[in-house]
Amino acid sequence: MQPLLALVDCDAFYVSCERVFRPDLIGKPVAVLSNNDGCVVARSQEIKKLGVKMGVPVFQIQHLVKQHNIQLLSSNFSLYADLSARVMTILEEFAPRLELYSIDEAFLDLTGVCQQDPIAYGHRIKKSVVRATGIPVCVGMGPTKTLAKLANFAAKKWKKTGGVLDLSDPVSREKLMRIVPVGEVWGIGSHTTAKLNQIGIHTVWDLATQPSQRMKTQLTIMVARTVMELNGIPCLELEEIAPNKQQIVCSRSFSRRLTEYRELSEALAEFCSRATEKLRRQQSVTDCITVFIRTNPFNPQEPQYQPAASIKLDAVTQDTRTIIATANRLLRGIFKTGYGYHKCGVQLSNIQPESSPGQMELFDFVDNGLPTENRQLMKVVDQINRRFPKSVSVAASGFDKSWKAKADRVSPHYTTDWRELVSVKCG
Amino acid sequence: MSTTSFTMLLPTPRPRVIPLSLFSGKVAAGFPSPADDFVEKSLDLNELLVQKPAATFFVRAQGESMLGAGIHPNDILIVDRSIDPVPGKIVICALNGELTVKRLERDNGLWQLKAENPAYPDIVIHEELEMVIWGVVTNVIHPL
Repeated sequence: MQPLLALVDCDAFYVSCERVFRPDLIGKPVAVLSNNDGCVVARSQEIKKLGVKMGVPVFQIQHLVKQHNIQLLSSNFSLYADLSARVMTILEEFAPRLELYSIDEAFLDLTGVCQQDPIAYGHRIKKSVVRATGIPVCVGMGPTKTLAKLANFAAKKWKKTGGVLDLSDPVSREKLMRIVPVGEVWGIGSHTTAKLNQIGIHTVWDLATQPSQRMKTQLTIMVARTVMELNGIPCLELEEIAPNKQQIVCSRSFSRRLTEYRELSEALAEFCSRATEKLRRQQSVTDCITVFIRTNPFNPQEPQYQPAASIKLDAVTQDTRTIIATANRLLRGIFKTGYGYHKCGVQLSNIQPESSPGQMELFDFVDNGLPTENRQLMKVVDQINRRFPKSVSVAASGFDKSWKAKADRVSPHYTTDWRELVSVKCG
Repeated sequence: MSTTSFTMLLPTPRPRVIPLSLFSGKVAAGFPSPADDFVEKSLDLNELLVQKPAATFFVRAQGESMLGAGIHPNDILIVDRSIDPVPGKIVICALNGELTVKRLERDNGLWQLKAENPAYPDIVIHEELEMVIWGVVTNVIHPL
């Protein structure tokens, strides 16, 4: 039986989430901004038509904002995470195996599920998701992940597909591939596109008809695999379980310049808490910690300073207090007065699976001035915070959070806070 | 509405079970309650009120047009978006860009959105009307 994979991708996901609770925004130009309200990270169709590109800084589009009454919104990640989980739950009803590819995309294994009429099945998926969650999606199908991605691209681009397209049939596949530029293929970035163009490969069809051996020698093994995938030979497996992260980075830009050691140290402590919580969630430990602080490189008038410092610990840890104490030592080493800091962060690397708790006690005698590893305590902290978010934190993270990123235009937490439910009119 | 801080809360699709014990004995410090042996089942309100978590949303009612249906100002409505909006159901609709509560009816071949309060007019659905059904109200949470 020929494999059949589907890529389900939400349309302008962040914007769609906002529109579920703000039907007045439907049909209007809407943009969602990055952390700190700096750049555009999601665009409605109307915004794309105005020529606003992904990632442009807000100040560059101020004239358009006024002229076209563009609605600008801060990112509301708790809303997006909630709606994403709902979309994925609905998708699970349609496929025995599913890979969460990103917050707004999932691969579904439909092999043997809907061989009779994949298009009709795709439309059922599309209808169910928008009905249950309010989020519109497109469905692309094909025998490989790369073809499903390509089908999704085409389903989004060409209205007459009705948002559902199957590229299982080689004839319709060829027709599409001849008109789509090679840069639209999943995994072919701008760098590779330039190289391919140089050797006369411009359309997807040009690439698909290359001998994969040639691609392997002239480019990379990844491109060779892509050629196979474009020809319907699966090379990329469905990843049902997300692999554990090898590195955890937690960093933010601040709403204002920080100049005091104390302020930076408090912000850093909060990032450490979050990073370590993620570390524990994936049941891992670390022994390598990096701290970095940055002035704003986009403001060349300011004196620039972008230092980083790392340390390898004697023993692995997953204890927030150890990470914070270590990060603070690193910060003390690199902090200099006289600069306005714009960003700081912590990176945990050399991440390993946690050993059994008993083993840790062997290392307890290590006198490094750090708190004794206490996994039980951390477990309790995590449990409490899961139930009552943000209720327990390490005192080092401070109480004055004025450095926090700007989010002036954030919508209410409609689905995650009882105090912020959407109002419906009885009138 | 307080909207300043970024809070990451757990998503609701898999509802958090809040077990309320059917029987609960007073805990005499250190000694097990003799009633403990009789605890058989905990009741979960989600089980009673939420059929399809991924499609269920909570919204807050404002205004008095639905008093006759037992919907008072400030009540929380439980809305299931996956239920068919058939005549007779109380629905949330996006009416001219505004989320609005009405009873959906069909009289003499005409679809109507009716208020449950004589002081408010009914609306006949016609082609020019910008109207989309958002969800079906299944329950009202009304504090006494």
